[in-house]
Amino acid sequence: MNGRPQTLVVDAHRTLLDVLRSDLAITSPKYGCGLAQCGSCTVLIDGAPARSCVMRAAKANGAAITTLEGLAHAQTGELHPVQRGFVEAVGAQCGYCLNGMVMTAIALLRENPNPDEGDVRAALRHNLCRCGTHKEIVASVMRAAELMREEAQAQTSPDGTSSAGEGASA
Amino acid sequence: MSGDYGRILVFRDEAGPREVFLSFDTSGVAIGFNGHVDLGTGIETALSQIVAEELDLPLDRVRMVLGDTEKTPNQGPTIASETIQITAVPLRHASAQIRRELAIRGARRLNAPAARVTLEDGEVRWKDTHVPYESLIAGEEIALRLDTETPVKNPKDYKIVGQSAARVDLPAKVTGRYPYVHDVFVEGMLHGHVIRPPYAGRDSGAFIGKSLVSFDEAAVGHMPGFVAVVHRGDFLGVVAERADQAEAIAEALPVEWLMPPDLPDMTSIADTVRSQPATPRNCDSTGDFARGIGECDVRLTRSYVWPYHMHGSIGPSCSIADWNAGEPIVWSGTQNPHMLRADLANLMQIDETLIDIRRYQAAGCYGRNCADDVCGDALLLSQAVGRPVRVQLTRTQEHLWEPKGAAQVMDVEGGLLGGRFHAYSMDSWYPSNRGPNLALLLTGRITPEPRPSDMGDRTIIPPYAIPHKAITVHDMAPIVRAAWMRGVSALPNTFAHECFVDELAFAAGRDPVAFRLDHIDDPRTAHLIRECAERGGWEERSEPRKRREGRMAYGQGFAFATYVHGAFPGTAAAASAWVCDVAVDMETGEVSLTRVFVAQDQGLVINPDGVRHQIHGNVNQTASRVLKEELSFDEIAVTPKSWATYPLQTFPEAPAIETMLVERSGDPALGVGESAAVPAAAAIANAIFDATGVRMREAPFTPEKMRAALGISASRPALVGPVAKTGWRDRLGGKGLSKRFGLAALLGGSLTAGALALPIHRAIPPAAAPQASSFSSDILARGREVFAAGNCADCHTVKGGAANAGGLAMETPFGTIYTSNITPDPKTGLGEWSFAAFDRAMRKGVSRDGTSLYPAFPYTSFAKMSGDDMFALYAFLQTLEPVEQETPKAAMAVPFNLRPLNAVWKAVYHDETQLAPDAEKSPAWNRGRYLVQATGHCSACHSPRNALGAEKGGAAALSGAPVKGWYAPAIAGEKAASFGWSEESFYQYLRTGVAGDLAAAAGPMAEVVSNLRELPDSDIRAMATYLASMQTGQAEALPVNAAAAVASPDDPATEAPPLDGVHRLFESACAVCHEPAIGGLATAAQVPLSRSPAVRSQNDEALRTVIREGIEAPLNLKTRDMPGFGKELTEAQIDALARYVRARYGAAAP
Repeated sequence: MNGRPQTLVVDAHRTLLDVLRSDLAITSPKYGCGLAQCGSCTVLIDGAPARSCVMRAAKANGAAITTLEGLAHAQTGELHPVQRGFVEAVGAQCGYCLNGMVMTAIALLRENPNPDEGDVRAALRHNLCRCGTHKEIVASVMRAAELMREEAQAQTSPDGTSSAGEGASA
Repeated sequence: MSGDYGRILVFRDEAGPREVFLSFDTSGVAIGFNGHVDLGTGIETALSQIVAEELDLPLDRVRMVLGDTEKTPNQGPTIASETIQITAVPLRHASAQIRRELAIRGARRLNAPAARVTLEDGEVRWKDTHVPYESLIAGEEIALRLDTETPVKNPKDYKIVGQSAARVDLPAKVTGRYPYVHDVFVEGMLHGHVIRPPYAGRDSGAFIGKSLVSFDEAAVGHMPGFVAVVHRGDFLGVVAERADQAEAIAEALPVEWLMPPDLPDMTSIADTVRSQPATPRNCDSTGDFARGIGECDVRLTRSYVWPYHMHGSIGPSCSIADWNAGEPIVWSGTQNPHMLRADLANLMQIDETLIDIRRYQAAGCYGRNCADDVCGDALLLSQAVGRPVRVQLTRTQEHLWEPKGAAQVMDVEGGLLGGRFHAYSMDSWYPSNRGPNLALLLTGRITPEPRPSDMGDRTIIPPYAIPHKAITVHDMAPIVRAAWMRGVSALPNTFAHECFVDELAFAAGRDPVAFRLDHIDDPRTAHLIRECAERGGWEERSEPRKRREGRMAYGQGFAFATYVHGAFPGTAAAASAWVCDVAVDMETGEVSLTRVFVAQDQGLVINPDGVRHQIHGNVNQTASRVLKEELSFDEIAVTPKSWATYPLQTFPEAPAIETMLVERSGDPALGVGESAAVPAAAAIANAIFDATGVRMREAPFTPEKMRAALGISASRPALVGPVAKTGWRDRLGGKGLSKRFGLAALLGGSLTAGALALPIHRAIPPAAAPQASSFSSDILARGREVFAAGNCADCHTVKGGAANAGGLAMETPFGTIYTSNITPDPKTGLGEWSFAAFDRAMRKGVSRDGTSLYPAFPYTSFAKMSGDDMFALYAFLQTLEPVEQETPKAAMAVPFNLRPLNAVWKAVYHDETQLAPDAEKSPAWNRGRYLVQATGHCSACHSPRNALGAEKGGAAALSGAPVKGWYAPAIAGEKAASFGWSEESFYQYLRTGVAGDLAAAAGPMAEVVSNLRELPDSDIRAMATYLASMQTGQAEALPVNAAAAVASPDDPATEAPPLDGVHRLFESACAVCHEPAIGGLATAAQVPLSRSPAVRSQNDEALRTVIREGIEAPLNLKTRDMPGFGKELTEAQIDALARYVRARYGAAAP
């Protein structure tokens, strides 16, 4: 759970969302619909996005779960570039859907580091926002992509060779 | 600097107890108190800017407390975009008051003339000396009475106001640390779950609060976590230790309700609204309309219809209440803390000052949702159990019960005289009130008679100079529960005004913008219209241009409005104007809003970025309402229970938005919360007219309505037409009764003829089975594997019942039979069965007492088992936990209820010989065949059966069949081969439940694979080897994604389904997992729908089952869960969805 092992016994029928919020006080994933229709509950399971309202906690046994609380750099505390993108481009009004937008954006940028606006819109087509913050959210993801590219570049050594193979993390 | 604590504050006390607006203390931080709340719009940031500006304090040293009833002034509900325009005014004066006091004190400290000191960054400065504010109040408590005459800064000196400021709440929100009301944890809290009456979404009529007949608490008292069932009138709720327990108890609680009377006809909403009791109220009777309209040379009569909408907060409402021995604390996401406090005081019959409402942000609400209702729920439950109780409404409860944005009907008549707008009348019906708190209604604390309100008059006066007007609002009570929603009645009223004036412009042969300007007297408004048209790229025209490119038609529209809020005649908030572009697909009727340009005049701008974001939000949300949203009803209630049946705008549909803020820093700040929403419907409708020449006067402008208006016939009638339901019964028993009687006659004949030739089975006397301990561990281990391979537990256990004690109902074409108790219980199980009796039953289908077993028990397969396996299984069964449980009697249709008939059946179909190994084949192949044919009895599900219920052999063996409402697909023969099975994929599937994206086990098969976990790898490999050898014919490449298959419009079999309700239902409920937008979604379906057995089945039954019940994946497999939709969708919707999915994906299914 966000980099730390957690042992707990839960009823087999309980959802991951319920257990995260109720038993582990991880409140960034939000309850929105319970049917995977809105995306507010999205978390990363071994790096892949998952709608935690339709996944039972027992199914996540042994997996690495990441939430908004665990995205910042473990040592420096610096926000994840996608989080920074959303702060800079104000990708939230009420912010209730924000968790799902950030998590989905992380998954998108892992697959496609250079998305155009159409790619971002397509990737977010199953995330609902009722405040109408679509424009700012898309801009936030585009900004996040930029920040991630800058970071990747910064990790390229001055003579132009990438140090990624030597253990640098993107 | 002195270290003593000190504070300066500004208060008022005319209205009773002291209310503080602003305080600043020696910590150096100013805290502003405002009775309005932040609904997610960033108002907290804007208010902070106002305080920082007037106080000359850095923005990061200002905090706001919004809405807590103990701390903030009562400034009414946060509605009508009033916060900046009205409630921020005293805050600004309070800031100026403290600043003035600090300036005087600072000057004294610095020995400077008071008029000459400057204040900056929290310091008073004079020449090169300075003193921080904090040190000027140390050790003192200074209280200033609010003086609204205090001079405030000249806006031209603003340094903080007018500059974009970062949202103060965002860093905490993006790291998950921002405490929404949903995230509040109160020590010792329990969890409540409410059970609402069947009159979902209604709040008037004699039945309200009087429909609960009975409930049976005893039936749920034993459930885990149970604390209490609480009821008062029609209020019913349960309390439990955990939220999931409360929900389970609420679902299990038997409740009887009276059914409410029908709603009026909600399908013809305009007639229904007009026919309700209403009181006309004249708002404008300039000139003489009757005379004026008579003088007109062009006269038009039009009606505009607005649907019911949902506020649609993304987070269903939540609250925690602590009764606290009569001094309640309520943690709430309310929009109206003080109004809520009064409601709760009424509910509990206590003085309102005893109640402390602690306001937290919730999901955006855009008006009145269930945020207050849920506080009443939580408080009633907390009072009953004497502990804090948290209530989280479900998505369904929020959908059904939130007070809706009301429908509205506008009947308009008007005309031109000599090309001028000469006369105009409007009658506007708005069936809404202020949504009384639900707990007050359900408990009967307030009476449920219809209560009219007066909110239908917002922006009801058209902005144009018209000599003769008759403007009437019809005040009326709600039909279903309703309250204000963004734009309130101004949005529909403007829909009518601005569409009508557009129509008149063309009738006058004028450009619509020019025509508007001809009739605008106010220069500020004219300036806004002109700026918007110019900067927004308005293209002049005097008739609709109907630009076409291929199937797409393109158009541009204009509309504007000044949002007028508050009691009539009201107060003007910001004025907004739209230029927008649409593209209309002339084949499907789909309207895309491609670009919106908004110009807005809001006077002084506090936070420019904040204003722009608010405009974007208004545009997107209202575009969704205008193009997609419409509440549906059945005979008695509101119906949408999830987003599936109330879809919202998605990201790809969102328009490009450009904004222009008119520069007016010298004018007072006007509210911007809703203004940009108000022109939306008219601007879009006017753009559609420009594109197509068709006037849309009834929102939303869905593809169905567009096709009707454009005269386009719907495609693919086959998809929506009646589809014959076929199932087991029809397939096996023939179509209809006559054939079944025919079969019965045939069987009857056989019975008569062969009766005497039948072998008569003797009973085998009861004999205590050997003790489990008498078997070797090797035998027991082998028995465990046979038990698992045979999937015995699954059919012999009722869900939630005792393991292996039988009683599971098996629906067959011939009636219902029940599986038997296979535990070693002596009375009701196998405890007194000798091995001989067991072996006979397994091989011959004869029970110990000599009666024949129905062939649903797959003894035809078990007969092929080896003697060793049979004995090992017998031994293992003796180790099961004995359970005393009688097997229910079978309920069979005549003549199948005659067990002797089974004997006839066996004589015809049963082959009792054990499997002999095929020496030509490998040991693995032979082992696989044995497991598949004998122990595993795969054919019991995967082989179709003949009319008498016998498995078909030959080419039909394992060629696929329906089972338990699911579909067991072909696993042998050409059908299986064309699907692409290989030895490796069979192995993966049987071992893990998942074979790449080829297949994933679900339903009964998931249980089978789960049980196969007991088998060694070599057995799984052997089955894969055997099954792979059973594939004849060449495997062909599969279509990966059926979406590709629907792209060709020429082939009727693969034509795209029409863009109607069921398509939207699929897109909003199913596509997230079945057409995922993002790769690697860990909760997405593992195989494409085109490969789903349910889609490949011969009929819809399996698909309906899986939609209704979902999939609960065994925990030891890699397969995934799917939620069931049986509670959210009606049977008709499930039928339609199943047909849609099979039409869209079935064509591609192998």
